[in-house]
Amino acid sequence: MGAVLVHIDLDGDRPDPSSLAALAAGRAVASSWGATLYAALVVHDPSEHPPDSTGQVVSAATVPAVDAVRAELARAGADKIIVAVTDVPLAPLWAAIGAPWQGILDHLRPRLVLFGADAPSAIELGPRTAARIGAKLLMRARAVGLDMIELRDRDGGYVRVTDGGASVVMIGNARGDDRCDDDIDVIVLALPGGGDARIELAGAMPADVAQAHGAMVALGDDVAGDPEIVRHAQRLAALLGAPLVGGRAAASAGAIPPHAVVERATPLAPELCVAIGSPNLDLAGATSLVRVGSNGKGVDGVLPGPVGASVQDLLRALEEP
Amino acid sequence: MTVAVWLGSAAPNRSIRWLDGALAAAAKFDGATAVAAGDPTWLDLAADRASRAGLASAGVPTDLQLDYLGWAQVMAAVARQLGATTILVDEASRPDRFPEVAAIAELLDAAQLTHVVAIAPDGAVVHASRVARGQLQTCRVRGSAVIGLRIAGKEIDEYPTPTPAAAMRRLDLASLSLDPVVLGHRALPPRTSREARRTVERVAEHLAVHVVPVRAAPKKGA
Repeated sequence: MGAVLVHIDLDGDRPDPSSLAALAAGRAVASSWGATLYAALVVHDPSEHPPDSTGQVVSAATVPAVDAVRAELARAGADKIIVAVTDVPLAPLWAAIGAPWQGILDHLRPRLVLFGADAPSAIELGPRTAARIGAKLLMRARAVGLDMIELRDRDGGYVRVTDGGASVVMIGNARGDDRCDDDIDVIVLALPGGGDARIELAGAMPADVAQAHGAMVALGDDVAGDPEIVRHAQRLAALLGAPLVGGRAAASAGAIPPHAVVERATPLAPELCVAIGSPNLDLAGATSLVRVGSNGKGVDGVLPGPVGASVQDLLRALEEP
Repeated sequence: MTVAVWLGSAAPNRSIRWLDGALAAAAKFDGATAVAAGDPTWLDLAADRASRAGLASAGVPTDLQLDYLGWAQVMAAVARQLGATTILVDEASRPDRFPEVAAIAELLDAAQLTHVVAIAPDGAVVHASRVARGQLQTCRVRGSAVIGLRIAGKEIDEYPTPTPAAAMRRLDLASLSLDPVVLGHRALPPRTSREARRTVERVAEHLAVHVVPVRAAPKKGA
């Protein structure tokens, strides 16, 4: 069985929670399949300029960023840590970190590569990694099973130990169990240069709520006056890490903040939208659409019963361990 | 800069607004060509919307059902034939389109940029704004690149039924040096039906992969 590789994004000096969820899923799969689980990081070190050292294994002692996360990744289940050190400033773009990430892929030739679906680099690195190694790609999956773990997405796609080729999977969520082994091997690859000059990141500013591409919860004006439904909608939004948006009436009722008002004509294209009640918004661009309390064409889920009870039941189902 | 816009292999899921937006974005570039593949009904729609946006169109008629890398092979072959160096992709109309951005870029050895919400050509440079995790990033693109667009067109409730597209340039797989048998290795395995989930348990299962992981609190003594 080949290696299982999990890409780890750093949030400051700690692993991103979504990457840790992917690591937890990777742990379950690797234990079930008899594979070694590698946690992989790309770190920036402008002082690293070793000549002729592409892909060269160097001493771990020269990478302070790794020392900070080593114990946490070990406790989260990693068997080994592999680090690509680059002198290119890091940005969550293939153009910035594609080359050092490729160095890790070349070094390990993994059978399965996992990303946290909500990790900053995942949307740029995941599909490109899959295309580069000719792999099957699951966009938002989780580990299921007891003895023989497999990865399944919501559309029926799966990755099993018996599969012939490589796979790349974006993990939606997973619960991890802490292990006690803090002392694991670290492999450090020096990969100087390699940034793609064709893409230049010129600046960044906060995006408008209508431009959110993750999850979104939309509240209808028809239910914005019901404090219990609003409270449940806010809890659901927090659970999904989503903004709660709606029309002016919802803001007037105090259900949403003023900056979360979206006009009827504004097109929305989040990855997931849960519409509670009948929001008068253009949700046709949502990758996945779930309606609570109303029907509609082309939806992935619909709970047509009383809104309050349906949202409460949904919350209960999502929050149960 | 020669530009092509990949409209994909099937009609939009819910609305043609995003298809129109991608075409309008492509129309900012002189001589851009809209490209689609798939069944004749979809090709007629793609050609019709392209001509309304003032774009030439090319279509690859095929009944193959491919995964992201299979369709990327088709689009990459068309791009080579057209000599296109900048490929725009309508990544919002269907969820399966998004990974095709990276796959086309990989096959053409091009740079990639996803989740772009605004684009403006400026000589040899393309200015693009993309959304990433609550941030609006401004990027400058030079040279060959594949750019995934999430740009909406005007609101539209009903659109006229497209007529057979006489103006669309037809490209068969053989003329693109693509072998359907080889492409068949990227055939999409059958998936579960797209019927809406109608119970709390099934909807919760659908949403479960979107629940954000929470950072565990440090253990006492750790």
